[in-house]
Amino acid sequence: MKKLVALALCLVLALGLVACGGDSNSNNSNTNTPSDNNTPSDNNPPADNNPPADNNPPADNNPPASGDAIALTVWGGEEDQALLGELVEEFKAAHPDQTFNIQVGVESESTAKDTILTDPQAAADVFAFASDQLDSLVNAKAIQSLDDMDAALQALAGVSVADVKTANSASSVEAASRNGVLYAFPMTAGNNYFLAYDPDFLNEDQVKTWDGLLEAAAAQGKKVAMTIASGWYNASFFYSAGFTTGLNEDGTTSADWNGTSATGIKGVDVVKAMQAIASSPAFFSTNDLPAAITGGDVIAVVDGCWEDKALKEGFGDDYAATTLPTFTLNGQQVQQYCVSGFKFVGVNPYSKQAGWAVALAQFITNEESQVKRFEQRKQGPTNVNAAANPAVQENVLIAASSAQDAYGVVQLVGDNYWSPTESFGAQIAQGTIGSDDAAIQSALDDLIAGITAPLA
Amino acid sequence: MSKITSAIGGFFGSIGRFFADFGKAFAKGDIFVKLSLIWWGAGFIARKQIVKGIILTVLEVGIILFSIFFAPQYVSKFGTLGTVKFEQVLDQTTWQLVPNDYDHSFLILLFSLFCFVVWLVAFIITIRCVVNAYKLQLRAQSGKHVNTFLDDCKDYLDSKFHVTLLTLPIIGIVLFTVIPILLLIFVAFTNYDQWHMPPGELFTWVGFQNFKSLFTSGGLTVSFSYAFGRILGWTLVWAFFATFSTYFGGILMSLLLNSKKTVVPKLWRLLLVITIAVPQFVSLLLVRYFFADNGIVNTLCARVGLTALLRGWGLINTTYIPFLTAPIWAHVTIILINIWIGVPYQMLIATGILMNLPSDQLESARIDGANKFQVFRYITMPYMFQVTAPTLVTDFVKNINNFNVIFLLTDGMYFTTNQMLANSQAKETDLLITWLFNLTQNYYNYKMAAVIGIVVFIICAVFTLIAFNFLISGDKEGVYN
Repeated sequence: MKKLVALALCLVLALGLVACGGDSNSNNSNTNTPSDNNTPSDNNPPADNNPPADNNPPADNNPPASGDAIALTVWGGEEDQALLGELVEEFKAAHPDQTFNIQVGVESESTAKDTILTDPQAAADVFAFASDQLDSLVNAKAIQSLDDMDAALQALAGVSVADVKTANSASSVEAASRNGVLYAFPMTAGNNYFLAYDPDFLNEDQVKTWDGLLEAAAAQGKKVAMTIASGWYNASFFYSAGFTTGLNEDGTTSADWNGTSATGIKGVDVVKAMQAIASSPAFFSTNDLPAAITGGDVIAVVDGCWEDKALKEGFGDDYAATTLPTFTLNGQQVQQYCVSGFKFVGVNPYSKQAGWAVALAQFITNEESQVKRFEQRKQGPTNVNAAANPAVQENVLIAASSAQDAYGVVQLVGDNYWSPTESFGAQIAQGTIGSDDAAIQSALDDLIAGITAPLA
Repeated sequence: MSKITSAIGGFFGSIGRFFADFGKAFAKGDIFVKLSLIWWGAGFIARKQIVKGIILTVLEVGIILFSIFFAPQYVSKFGTLGTVKFEQVLDQTTWQLVPNDYDHSFLILLFSLFCFVVWLVAFIITIRCVVNAYKLQLRAQSGKHVNTFLDDCKDYLDSKFHVTLLTLPIIGIVLFTVIPILLLIFVAFTNYDQWHMPPGELFTWVGFQNFKSLFTSGGLTVSFSYAFGRILGWTLVWAFFATFSTYFGGILMSLLLNSKKTVVPKLWRLLLVITIAVPQFVSLLLVRYFFADNGIVNTLCARVGLTALLRGWGLINTTYIPFLTAPIWAHVTIILINIWIGVPYQMLIATGILMNLPSDQLESARIDGANKFQVFRYITMPYMFQVTAPTLVTDFVKNINNFNVIFLLTDGMYFTTNQMLANSQAKETDLLITWLFNLTQNYYNYKMAAVIGIVVFIICAVFTLIAFNFLISGDKEGVYN
């Protein structure tokens, strides 16, 4: 009897091993981590250590003969599920002579890259993602070039890649392209940042300049919040002065911040301007903006569309939003730029039905779908016609976001960019650099050495 | 030290015996024994062990078929890990992308490895077949009983029951533990990263290039050696304090709870154990917000005037106490929080051991007039140490790799102002393991993850071996008794 028990135990153990190590392809995709659209996807590289492995069914392995149902999987954010379901039905209705079997799965735009790169062949045919993930996807060849699919797009959707490029805003098309090749369909704009404030404490004139803003806040014992320890936010000061970053072929970053910009401004002077802002008693540097907004002391914040809820709670329903203020640089007022961000829809190159996948991706990002997305989800359109809609312009956040987009920069950076810039922002926030030119220059040189370092 | 040499000697000795047995069997055996080398079943069938012979023959045919039809397509490409790049063309009638007959580097590596393991097993079976066939020959010649298949089956349920029990688990361990570890080791010698990710791209062998870029010419990042030194230092400091603070804290706590003067000890013990019951990441995330710059602890400190007091002493220059946001402060806070998390575990262990403390020794000590401290110093502690020393060593190694506490408390919370560290994607509070995570996982740098994984393994293995052999030599028990 004892032996039987021992044998049974061993079997259970062995089976357990098999079960654990085996393929965990469970049935549907709804077990993915819930998305969080409350963050600007990942201005820092994602900290998500366990990308949901492969709980999504791989695309059908047997391409059906023509006339069979076309099987496709679409991934979108959790909040987008209802809308996506609706759009998929419309897509089916638009192609009555073809049968489809389209599944909609949950995968947050902010973590799509992690899940896809775990196993690109098991990922969805069509997926939504945040624009800063494009480089990783292109590097790993996990996203299909749309230029190569032009013929299929014209045959199945009736539009060409050139049409897609003209229909969407130039900055969104630029952000969706690498080396002149379009890789994704722009879906929403508004993943950028601007100034939101409480009109009970600040008037329209005061929010035009950082000086006026900080002075008014200080006079009332209040604060202005910004995340300065992040390369996504603090680069805006350098971009404003004409400095650039670039992504090289080998994945390294190029940056010229320690020199002189195209407009003749020295990097040292930009740092001095940042120090002037950060050293104001009314300036509050934090990486937890929602907590700062609802905390009570903050009356203005550099933030984005995703903060609607916290803004209503902190500043009241009548909160206002506008473009970023100007800041004083060498005695002159310079408009502060932002980093443009978008959400895109891409197509998996390993899709068994790449042609139809491209057609579906185009459909869920066309003008009518973007209008619908704005109406249901309050997401700013990239489509030029949809953006011109008066209802879109009346939305406080989207209006501010699209106004700020005129001063937007598509941030091209590699992996080594984030950690050094984060530390540099922290040093400015804590005032550890010093104010003489030599100290600032050497700090900038160290920063650029880190940003431009080769990858191992 | 002699233990290590004898262990190594024993290992090579058994390998030597394995081949010596084979040599002897092959030289002295008859034709059937020799034939067993190419036909596994020969020796058994010749001695009328038909069923066993057939089973082995079928197995051998299976392995040969596997080697002919499955293995070559992968093993032949093992040297290059594939040469044909993935390409697709658009089919203008079905609008599908048609891929070429491409090589998948990762599958080539994985299945080649699998083939090697299968062949190693086949090799061992071959040798064993010859040896066993020779044993059978000897039995038959000396007229002893030769087992029938039924006899063998009975043996496997009786005198060789351990073999029956362990077969499946061992197969499981080989498939799901050994092969993945070997795979990791092999990946360290390739250029598998974001730019070489199959199936879109091929990756290939680069020899010791990754190890070289880790240890020479500045290393992985511009300030690598600086960051490596700083982080290794903090890792060891952390492991030391985290291990010994919880260890002694746990013992003192259990002594306190065991003391007859303590009122309602069960209640206190329960409260402490609740810390264990709550998942660590939940409690750590909560604590992290307690200690945030605008968290509840800071609000309290400001209210009672502690913040102002520290500022007056010049210990801080901020309007809050940077519990988790400045170096030294964060280091101390992390160790203190870890005490809170770790002490209950050690308390439970210590309580169990204290209950088994030989009471005769305690009594005689008391009769001899020893005071409480002397009893603790000369009886309780030596006994505790003798029993718990092995866990102390494993705790130390565990703390070197204590990912949870550090990562959950500092990620997104602590921002280094040390540009040299930041340029290596590191911060002051990182352990080797969290740094490895930042350096590789976020950037899909699998090759360097494998290399650093091997290095961390070597550090831990060396430490464990030394600690076990020198700190806990086997005669401690004798000394105590």
